[in-house]
Amino acid sequence: MKPEKAKLVVDGLKEAGVDFTAGVPDAQFIQVYKMLEADPDIRYVGTANEAEAAGVGYGAWFGGKKPALILATSGLLVATYHLARINILHEVPLLVVIPYRGDIGDPRWMGLYKKTTEPGLNAMDIPYRVVSRSSDIVRTIKECNESARAWLRCIAVILNEEALW
Amino acid sequence: MVARLELIKALASIVPPEVLVVTSIGNNSYFWAELTDREATLYHSTLGMCTPAAFGLAMALPRRKVLALDSDGNLILNLGVLGTIANENPTNLTVLVMDNGNYLGSHKREAGMRTASGGKMKLEEVARGCGIASSHAVQDVAKFRERVQSALRTDGPHFIRAEVEALDLERPPKTKHVLDPRENKYQFAKYIERTEGVQILGGGLGNFG
Repeated sequence: MKPEKAKLVVDGLKEAGVDFTAGVPDAQFIQVYKMLEADPDIRYVGTANEAEAAGVGYGAWFGGKKPALILATSGLLVATYHLARINILHEVPLLVVIPYRGDIGDPRWMGLYKKTTEPGLNAMDIPYRVVSRSSDIVRTIKECNESARAWLRCIAVILNEEALW
Repeated sequence: MVARLELIKALASIVPPEVLVVTSIGNNSYFWAELTDREATLYHSTLGMCTPAAFGLAMALPRRKVLALDSDGNLILNLGVLGTIANENPTNLTVLVMDNGNYLGSHKREAGMRTASGGKMKLEEVARGCGIASSHAVQDVAKFRERVQSALRTDGPHFIRAEVEALDLERPPKTKHVLDPRENKYQFAKYIERTEGVQILGGGLGNFG
């Protein structure tokens, strides 16, 4: 991801009022993670795996934070139990931002994630929007976070096509 | 070796009511609910979520003491969190692990199956190796009280492993309705809002509010 697009992701999180993020770095989103770590307005906690990140975000929400998880498509699978529980049983809102590795157009063989990402979100009853144009990144992140907090639900934003590559 | 119930009774008598307690699922939750009447409890953290949730809470509220009442099988599922805690260094966090060395020991009248800590793994040494300098193991009520009180009095992060019996043969009588996860969410969030002056709930009014 180009730095100017990564900045749009961070800008979107700020516009949304997100002040706490957690995750595990992903190659496609590495610029986003680095920007978050360096940003004084958003706390980034690097965790050992994505399930831990979901637990940390869950706890931070109870402390008054507006948390987001920044997860790879592989990491979404790691976080699945925790996210399903947080979303379905506890109904605690976490925004989940995902670079859509494995979607059509990905130049590497990662088709596994085409089979798991959207079906996985549906199985966990996590609504999502796919963002394909970089001009839509900021607005979509903001809208998804507003709905997550209003509905007390996890909501995901997944970036593909021109928004990601 | 001591019964979980004895330690949770001791805990209930020494943890100040304003300390935020995050409990793992099973008898840590049920015994704590039976023996206390505190809004400052977040119950039912399963499969590795207890210590991460307590850690996230501690990061969000750095001036508030937070206690994770975790268990060995639960913590071992997300053991990497100990390294994360060491690096982030939340001075207000204490991780207390009831270690029965056993899966399902908290629920059944017969032994379950051994956890790694029921074998060679020493969780306090793992925590120390992860970088949590204040890491201890306790085997009796007196030492337990001393370590927990010290942890709540001083800057951490602290890690305490309490060796408990494999089975919870001593249990408190069931007299209470333990809050389900959603009831508990609202109660705990409202308590935090009231005592910390933060807004957690109350979205949904959009531009009309």
